[in-house]
Amino acid sequence: MLYRLSLLLLAVTLPLTAHSADRPVLNVYTHPSFAAEWGPGPGVKEAFEKQCKCTLNYTVLNSGGDILQRLRLEGTSTPADVVLGLDTATMETALQTGLIGEHERSLDALNLPIDWSDNHFIPYDWGYFAFVYDTEQLPEPPASFDQLINAPDDLKIIIQDPRTSTPGLGLLLWMHSVYGDEAPAKWEKLNNKILATTQSWSDGYFSLFMNGEAPMILSYSTSPAYHMAVDKTDRYQAAKFEEGHYLQVEVAALVEPSKQKTLARRFVDFMLTPEFQRHIPLKNVMYPAIDLGEDLPTVFDRLITPEHTFFMPPADVASQRRQLVNDWLDAMTR
Amino acid sequence: MRSTPPPAPLSHPGWQLIPGQLLGLALVILVALGLGSMLITAGGLDLSTVFNSRYLRGVVWFTVWQAMLSVLLSLALALPVARTLARYRRFPGRSALLRVMELSLVLPTIVAVSGIIGVYGRQGWGTGLLNEWFPGHGWNLYGLNGILLAHIFFNAPLAARVMLQSLETIPPSRLRIASQLGLRGWWLWRSVEWPALRPVLPGLSALVFTLCFTSFAIIMTLGGGPAATTLEVAIYQALRFEFDFPQAAVLAVIQLLICGGLWWLVFRQRLESSLLPNRQLSHSVPLKPWPAQHLLSAALLLVFSLFLLLPLLAIGIRGLPALLALNTAHSIYEQLLPATGRSLLIALPAGFGSVAASLMILASINKTKNPIMKAIPTTTGYLPLIVPPIVLGTGLFLLLRPGLGNHTQGWVLVALINSLMALPFVIQILRGPLNGLDSHSLRVADQLGILGWYRWRRIYWPLLRRPMALGLAYGIALSMGDFGVIALFGSPGQPTLPVLLYQQLGSYQVSAAAGTGLWLLMLLVFIFGLLSAIGRPPAHLQKKRLPEAALEPKHV
Repeated sequence: MLYRLSLLLLAVTLPLTAHSADRPVLNVYTHPSFAAEWGPGPGVKEAFEKQCKCTLNYTVLNSGGDILQRLRLEGTSTPADVVLGLDTATMETALQTGLIGEHERSLDALNLPIDWSDNHFIPYDWGYFAFVYDTEQLPEPPASFDQLINAPDDLKIIIQDPRTSTPGLGLLLWMHSVYGDEAPAKWEKLNNKILATTQSWSDGYFSLFMNGEAPMILSYSTSPAYHMAVDKTDRYQAAKFEEGHYLQVEVAALVEPSKQKTLARRFVDFMLTPEFQRHIPLKNVMYPAIDLGEDLPTVFDRLITPEHTFFMPPADVASQRRQLVNDWLDAMTR
Repeated sequence: MRSTPPPAPLSHPGWQLIPGQLLGLALVILVALGLGSMLITAGGLDLSTVFNSRYLRGVVWFTVWQAMLSVLLSLALALPVARTLARYRRFPGRSALLRVMELSLVLPTIVAVSGIIGVYGRQGWGTGLLNEWFPGHGWNLYGLNGILLAHIFFNAPLAARVMLQSLETIPPSRLRIASQLGLRGWWLWRSVEWPALRPVLPGLSALVFTLCFTSFAIIMTLGGGPAATTLEVAIYQALRFEFDFPQAAVLAVIQLLICGGLWWLVFRQRLESSLLPNRQLSHSVPLKPWPAQHLLSAALLLVFSLFLLLPLLAIGIRGLPALLALNTAHSIYEQLLPATGRSLLIALPAGFGSVAASLMILASINKTKNPIMKAIPTTTGYLPLIVPPIVLGTGLFLLLRPGLGNHTQGWVLVALINSLMALPFVIQILRGPLNGLDSHSLRVADQLGILGWYRWRRIYWPLLRRPMALGLAYGIALSMGDFGVIALFGSPGQPTLPVLLYQQLGSYQVSAAAGTGLWLLMLLVFIFGLLSAIGRPPAHLQKKRLPEAALEPKHV
């Protein structure tokens, strides 16, 4: 029985692995929200394969951290050619693996709120961290961090844990950028309003926020775009904070030991063209890394535009992260 | 002249001994590799970092504390439920309730948690009722409350199921005597029920303790904040951003020491016995009820059923709109059905594999008298529960690295690890019935030369049919709901059901994700129902076996 079953299994799965032999294969390590059916992945694959005469192959790892983990374990024998889905918090660690190559590309097409001149990492989308609120539960959201922190304790928010989640770490850096050394004291004050600190953004959004458990959740300023454009509802909006918002940039990079360097360069060049970028706004629900002009969906005009952009250089994030997390833990468990 | 018949197929003792030993060794090597590689990167093991950090001391303390509380509360609820179910062996819905109790363990956490929040959360129905009846009750799901509630939801049904099985193995003769003597309440407990439960309690407590000790997503979603942090979270933290192998290794070792020590205690005391239900046919012996007992029992079972069913109902209500919306341009089934196929492709071999492996392991344990050779396969029953997945993953990766090239191997690997993760549960299910064969029958079988394949086919198979079906259901269901293993290795672009669920969540497809959650739940119900029906002996055999005294010597 088992034998026959395993034969059957082989017979069914073998076709999955068959590539047409003469086409080169480009291996991209990425995370689920990019490669998902509704993510930009499938559209990008189709568009790139049309022009490259190659096969674009995604290996989907759970998160940016897992991509790095895999890269480290594989070392110089890694089959990856490109990694896509790291962010400013993991860039420095990625660099330290010694497996990231310089891109030697022109970054003139970039359209970010900050100047970007990194030799290794190329942004493919960006957005601001923001609190998304339910207008039906909370008609008048706080308009600044100060208002949030001083709000009555029955205003509940959902955040993510900086130890396990990228937005969670983003909030930590955001508070640090706004308040500096006073941040731990502010966290202590904020603590009573935190209903839950979830492991991942998905846990919080699905299990808690969409169940109506709290009227506000830490998310992205672009989240409402999806609800407005696809769900056709204005119910969920991002609260604009006077102090400004923290920038999140998602990046890709070439893998140094790759044997498909030319193809990989072609892919990162392709990344900054409209054929790639037009999949970003509603499929990754982030701002495209280049100016899409007319192609940017109109709902993006209705998103908040922060007065001030906070951004800490990746090297600073890497060197301060542990201390900031420890201070946070201290403040939250006191 | 003596003619010897040809030996029965597979009758060499090695066939019983060696496969289990190899499996056990493979697992031990895997864990050693994973842990070893982390320790080598760490350059040694420095436990003092943990004792010197207030935070980490707090983490260890909290992990142990919440696990202990969860064990106590789960057992406290499970005990009366099991006693009541043992007493009332025929009432409408009893077998449905038992199926639901089997289900709770295998529900994917995120689905179950969403159901629990739908009932007990701030906007939940349960909380709504509470607000109406007891304004100012002060109930708050988030914090220790929520952690314990969720752990009880997952573990109390399991514990009750195990206890029920032990109570059902009380020989009818004993029950009859108790009934004739009119034993009730404390005396019945002291002389009949406690002796039956005592052997399973240590192992059961250790199992529930381990499951709660290594709990991760529940703790973070419902725990409220970093004050509720378990070791598993701290291990993840050390690796997620920090790549701090020394720290992760130290924490993993502490986890192994605490849980492993507990299991070692249980094992050393020879207190372990079968921990999971084997669905024996029950004997009905009327015990004299005390006044109002019927009423109380009915109330208890009703409350317990509601406790289990309401969150499932919440999952159903939330997911139904997505599953019913057939008219939309992009039908949800376009993704659901292929994902279901892929999930089955992994889960079926994983289920069969874990049943086969469990049998080999148990045979190997029974075959040898050598304590070390007994210990090696025995570890497979516990190690997969207490080794952090990341350690297992690293070990596997190092072991198989050159081969980890293509998707087929990836899928086979995922099926393999899933069957490994299900081993502890399947072994528990099969151990009782496999060891339950009396020595007299075995001796007769030896004398008649019923060995090898024939022995298996004629003697064990009829006995093991039902437990194997249940073990298979657990194996398949655990692997159907698995997200961790598949995510560890990088899934191919085509998602399985849980991966699909997470992809939908990551892409704001909240209602579709709720639909996927419900779909998964229904699939699990179907699997348990189907295998429970398959496991039942065919009707004509069943009739012949009634009044079910075939294996039971008649004393009365």
